[in-house]
Amino acid sequence: MSRIMVIDDEKIVGDMSRMSLEQEGYEVETFLNAEPALARLKEEQFDIVITDYKMKGMDGMEVLRTIKTMYPEIKVIMITAFANLDTAIEALRGDVHDFFPKPVKIKELKASIKRALQKE
Amino acid sequence: MKIEQKIILSNAINVVFIVLIGLLAFQNLSLMLTKLRFVEISDDLNASFLEMRLSEKNYFLYHDKNSLFEIKEMIDAAEKSIDQAREDISHAVSEENLSRLRMHLKEYAGAVDKVSNAAQGDSNAELMLRAQGKRLRDYSKTMTQIERKGVNNMISSSKSMLIILFITVLVTAVLVSHFISQKILRSLRDVKKLTESISQGNFNKIVGAIPNDELGSLITAVNSMSEELSRREEELIQAKKLASIGVLTAGVAHELTNPLNNISMITQNFIELYDNFNKENALGLLNNIQGETERIEKIVKNLLDFSKPKEVNLTESDINRPVKKALRLMQNTLDVSNVELTVNLAKDVPHVFIDDNQIQQVLVNLLTNAVQAMPVGGRLYVETEADMTRGTVEITVVDNGNGIPREYLPHIFDPFFSTKGAEGTGLGLSVSYGIIKNHNGHIRVESKVGEGTTFTIELPIYKQ
Ligand SMILES: Nc1ncnc2c1ncn2[C@@H]1O[C@H](COP(=O)(O)OP(=O)(O)OP(=O)(O)O)[C@@H](O)[C@H]1O
Ligand SMILES: [Mg+2]
Repeated sequence: MSRIMVIDDEKIVGDMSRMSLEQEGYEVETFLNAEPALARLKEEQFDIVITDYKMKGMDGMEVLRTIKTMYPEIKVIMITAFANLDTAIEALRGDVHDFFPKPVKIKELKASIKRALQKE
Repeated sequence: MKIEQKIILSNAINVVFIVLIGLLAFQNLSLMLTKLRFVEISDDLNASFLEMRLSEKNYFLYHDKNSLFEIKEMIDAAEKSIDQAREDISHAVSEENLSRLRMHLKEYAGAVDKVSNAAQGDSNAELMLRAQGKRLRDYSKTMTQIERKGVNNMISSSKSMLIILFITVLVTAVLVSHFISQKILRSLRDVKKLTESISQGNFNKIVGAIPNDELGSLITAVNSMSEELSRREEELIQAKKLASIGVLTAGVAHELTNPLNNISMITQNFIELYDNFNKENALGLLNNIQGETERIEKIVKNLLDFSKPKEVNLTESDINRPVKKALRLMQNTLDVSNVELTVNLAKDVPHVFIDDNQIQQVLVNLLTNAVQAMPVGGRLYVETEADMTRGTVEITVVDNGNGIPREYLPHIFDPFFSTKGAEGTGLGLSVSYGIIKNHNGHIRVESKVGEGTTFTIELPIYKQ
């Protein structure tokens, strides 16, 4: 069973992602900020991390970089309220798997997750 | 009456005075001239009387009848010149004096005739001649003296009359011009004070009775200029506000994205997983949706509230209120721009008398400038503080951005001064300056290129 981590300081994003993804049979954990999430990665193995781009404290780009150096096999999907070309390019350079502007289409998100897992 | 008319009138009065003096002096002078002529004539007469008496003496010494004849001739000549004088200058010399003189001359002539007809040695007739000769000469001498004295008197009296009139004209001219310039200066001083206060951004007016003259028109003109400027300033403030909304909406739009996304994700799940929901978690999610719409409403209301044109509305207020509102509006812009914000608001700060909306706008202007001065992000510090000794409340906005070059500092509060090209209208600081001035406050700046900029606003503490 694939494990998915969701990091977003909007609680509803985590809740709704979990509700939807658990229906698909994934195991989901949610975090409101990056530091405890990264700490959790040390304990448990995750296949996919969905992170918000803009957060208090450590932001999405830093999360992406940390994961890519420490756990290169984890796929990162970024969601953001501040979608513009610069952030997208920056994210792609950081080897992001996918990039979703808010409001997120959950169906597309699910499809993207499926693709990410198939690649493995 | 208009000032111009007053000046013309006072000048006219003076001119009339001067003309009157001139006429009087002229009349006096011509009178003096005739009197002088008479004095001349009587000098001549005196001389000829003297000669008559010399001939008279000769006769008594040598008993030469020729001498008597000479006297008679001289008498004829004298009579002629007296008659001539009577015609010419009778108005200047009293008729009586002249006829008295004429009479004495006649008596003298009579005495001469008597002597020449009488036998030689008639001591009676000779005595008579002598007496008459003396009388004639004495009379003529005194008369000449009197006339001469009269002329002298006239000269000195017209001299003093001229001096008195000269002083009168001078004094009235000085008094009138002093009065008028005093009046003009007083009004001009009012106008100067007003224009000075206008140039500082206080659009006052001159109150009280407006005189019905040129100064009155000037005061009315300046007053209506002040009114117009104040209206223009209000328009400018509103225009700048609308312009700042452009900047603000970018931030606010992003801010709306999160609650919108939340609502969207909840509804997507609702639709997708409808059958899985029980009543309890359905209600929970609907409440969430309600919460998120309220969040949106607040954001929109904030912006609308800020953008609405408002009558200036001064109220007793806590300075922290508009500061917090401005920070709320700017929250997202700061976030997006990677600006780390530190806020330090004074507790229990004394109240100020302000228009919240306008002070909020000043802060939005300053914060926007600060963000724009930190293109790659930076630190922003906002503080409020009371200074009890100076009786002021201060708002300080510190950024560690580009800073302002020294040569720009004197210009940053000028309208349309901007270094931002198409990005800036150059109105932010000029509008802020106007607003703070209208609150009887001050706005100061300190800046160092490469280190950052500090703006300080000072507002007077409100006293009941
Ligand atoms: N915090 C700051 N740091 C550096 N420069 C500043 C700062 N605040 C103002 N300036 C300078 O002062 C100029 C005038 O500012 P002002 O806010 O009046 O106009 P603007 O920001 O250029 O345009 P607008 O505010 O109308 O969009 C700016 O162009 C900028 O050069
Ligand atoms: Mg500006």
